Formats: sequence, C-alpha cells, structure tokens
Amino acid sequence: MAKLSLMFEDKLVKEVPIGSKPVRIGRSPDNDLVVDNLAVSNDHARVYFDAGRLVIEDRGSLNGTFVNDLRVERATLHDGDSIWIGKHHIKVDAIGDAPLQYQSPKKTSAPMINETMVLDTKVRREMLQQAAAMGERTQFASDRIKVPTMVVLSGKTDAKEYILTNKLTTIGKSAMATIKLKGWFKPAMAAQINQRDDGYYVGSGAKTPAVNGVAISGPTKLNDGDLIEVASIRFNFIVRE
Amino acid sequence: MHIASGGATDVGTVRTNNEDSYRIVAALNLFVLADGMGGEAHGEVASSLAVETVVRHCLDGQKDPNTPLSGEAKPGLTEKSRRLASAVHLANQKVFTSAADHAEQRGMGATLTAAWIDGMDLSVAHVGDSRLYLLRTGVLQQLTSDHSLVAEQVRRGILTASEAESSTMQNVLLRALGTQPDVEVDIEQVGLFPNDVILLCSDGLTRMATEPEIAGTLQSEPDPQKAAQKLVRLANEGGGVDNVTAIVVSLKSESKGWFSWLRRGADKSVGGNGTAGGH
Repeated sequence: MAKLSLMFEDKLVKEVPIGSKPVRIGRSPDNDLVVDNLAVSNDHARVYFDAGRLVIEDRGSLNGTFVNDLRVERATLHDGDSIWIGKHHIKVDAIGDAPLQYQSPKKTSAPMINETMVLDTKVRREMLQQAAAMGERTQFASDRIKVPTMVVLSGKTDAKEYILTNKLTTIGKSAMATIKLKGWFKPAMAAQINQRDDGYYVGSGAKTPAVNGVAISGPTKLNDGDLIEVASIRFNFIVRE
Repeated sequence: MHIASGGATDVGTVRTNNEDSYRIVAALNLFVLADGMGGEAHGEVASSLAVETVVRHCLDGQKDPNTPLSGEAKPGLTEKSRRLASAVHLANQKVFTSAADHAEQRGMGATLTAAWIDGMDLSVAHVGDSRLYLLRTGVLQQLTSDHSLVAEQVRRGILTASEAESSTMQNVLLRALGTQPDVEVDIEQVGLFPNDVILLCSDGLTRMATEPEIAGTLQSEPDPQKAAQKLVRLANEGGGVDNVTAIVVSLKSESKGWFSWLRRGADKSVGGNGTAGGH
C-alpha cells in the first residue's frame, strides 16, 4: 500500500494512504495531510496516481515543494523519495504502487496519540522566527511590550489604575482581591479577569459585568478601549505599548 | 477553610502504559501532577521521579525552613511559592541527571504542575502542557500557560485559539522537565475564595474534553474524588487516546450562618489557628 509519512524532527507525525483520490497537502484544515506551519501554503501540493505512476504536483505554493532537494512543479515519485515542504519532511512509500480503492469520505483526523516531544532551544528559535516571518498578523505582535491596564473611570477603588500582571485578577471588596472596591455594599468578589493565550477575558463573580453597556453571558474577551462596568464601578481596559 | 480533594488516573483506551504520575499530600495541602514522555517505560520514570522530588523537597522545607533553595529566587514570592519553585528546579535536575546517567533513559522528560494552598493563598508552579484550572462562580479559568509550540504561536498572534485546537503540532513542547540542565519555572500566586474548585489535569483530559464539559462535571459533582473519576471517564469517552489524570480540590467554609460569626469571634479571642492571619 502506497503511503505518505509526514515527519518532523525524525518523528512520525502522520501517515496517509494514497488511494484513488489525490492526497491534498497544505496548511488549511480541509487538506488530507495538514501541515500546520506558516511556511506551508493553504493548498500546497497534491500527490496522486496518474497512469500507474505516483505524481506530485505543486499548487503554486509560495515556498515551493522539494523532492530530494530539487524544487519541483510536477514530478514522478519513487519509493523512498523525500518530499520537503517548509521544515517538514514527507517520506514516500510507494511499495505496491497500485492505487487503493477509495473508501471513506471521512478525513483521517490527526492522530493525537503521537509522542510528546520537546524542541531544543535552537530549533525552537528557528521555528518561531520562521513562523513570525511568515505570519501575516505578526507585524502587530511581539516587538513592543504590551501592558494591559484597567483604568478606573468612576467609583471607589484602592488605586486609580491597575496593570494586569497575573493570570487571574479579582475585582471585589475582599482582602484577596487585586482590584479592591470600597463601600458597604460591594461584593467580596464582584468579577474576575483571566489572562488566556489569546487575550484577557472578563467573567462574572457575584455580579455580572457589562462590557460596552452589554451584560456578558459568559467569559468575554476584552479589546483595547472596552468599557467595563461592575458593582457600579466603571473601568476602561487599555492596552499600552 | 475546609479543603477536600481527590485524584484519579487512567491509562486511557489506546496506550498500554500510564506515564502520568500524581500525589496528593493532604497534610500540606500540596497537589502535584506530572505527565512523562520518552519511549518504553521511561516516561513513567521521569514523571514519578519529578513528582516524588517535588513532594520530598516541600516536606523537607516544612520540617526545616533552612533547607537550601534550588534555582534563582524571584522577588515578591511567598515562602510557599519560593519552596515550590525550588522543588521544581530540583525535580528538573534529578530527571536530567538520571537521563544523562542512564543511556536507555535518554530523551525522557515530564511536564509538572503543582499547587500548594496556604490559608487563602494558592501557589502554582508549572512547566509543560498539563494545566491548572480554577472554577469560581461557574467560570472555569486556566491559571497556567501551556508551554507548547501552538500556545506560543497563539500568544504571538500567529495562530488563533481555534486553529491551535485543530493543529497537528499540539504534541510539540517548548519546555519540559529533564531536557535541559535548568528550566524556567512559571509561578502564579492567587488569592482563594470559599467555594473555589481547583483542577490539575494532564493534556489527556483537555484534548479529549471541552472546557464547558469539564466545568459542567466539576459543578454537578461536589465530591472531589467522584469528580476526578468522572473527568477521567469523560476523557475516555471522548476517545481516551492519551493517559489522563485529574486532581480536584474544593474549598468550603468550615461552617455556615450565624454560627461562623461565633466561631470567628472565638478564634480571634484565642489568636486564630495560624492560617487566617498573616496577610
């Protein structure tokens, strides 16, 4: 059975059999072989049988498809050939060569059983740099240090503004709260802000906060400039650079 | 504050060995979880060595506060946080040394997530992609950052959170115990409230179950031991392709209503029990 084996750092990431339908390779999740790296185009390449020969065809990818170190647009593949796409290596196993009967429209999902691995410092730096160089969104990211701040607009608190430095910031009257509210009827824990990978989320406590005048229905991602109101205190969420 | 806890672990439905390890030290309110990696049985060696080293160092520090600290101390940390950070540095050295001394263990490593509750203060030490969640007023909040390639790409704005969830690169870690002579340890300090629920879990849970499913299980099952077992079952029902471990810790007020006022007064008059004061 002919198959493609996606390798990374000499470890097997995924295997796909080559059937009667083309194997679509690329970054977008609807591919048969998803290579999740920004050096890889959404629709990068296809591998299929053509008149009994196994063929690879580049789909006009930005960074190219390489077979045994040679950049190709279309090439015949042989058993043991190496395809390189970005930093990923795809081994060609063409033993048998005969196309399999196409069986199921269900895409083989990524195996999550694969071994956990740790990148060494050098590879990590390279990968992140490469990812940064490729990322369309990165011109706004990482270079400048961002300081998320809750600025008090009105109401009694123990400071005028708070820089969010922890994974969890608690707003309330309690001694355990980060943003301390003053006044008789304030709740011990009015609301909370959780720092997640993709930003800061405000969640309910004893009170349901409103973001830009709308009461939240669950943890809500904060954007620069958002107005937050909880327990009659009004805050402005500002990301300073 | 009354603290109840329970833990459960399972090999899952696909793998043949369980590389996760955990320990609950109820006497200290210390909770430690590690997920090992490295072929054969060496993931188990790494995770159990890491967990035992952390527990031993915290017990030693409790017995003798002069027990030397390992690794550099960051400013602004409580004594418990410093001890916990030191314990993780020490665990890293132990796993690294063991792997260096035994050729067959080369490449082994582990994630480690530890929580220590002291009065109303929670200290969290963390390396890798196991997680610690805090469930408070129905909101599940992650207090650890995954040290994985995809999480780092999300933090840098290169991937969205949903792209990361479907990534084939989820198993690539940027940081783990035992792969370098020293390791950077994340420390988080959080003030706790009554009715908070803390969950420590390996990625075998978070990859098989959604956060709403996890939150729902924690909310519907008040008994921590049963909740931990239900979470393990949830992961296995979701596919169980990896080992899964969960430690659940719940905080309850010791007593309710007017009686607690009386008790609080009584505690004050005898100088408290040593956990309520000192903040």
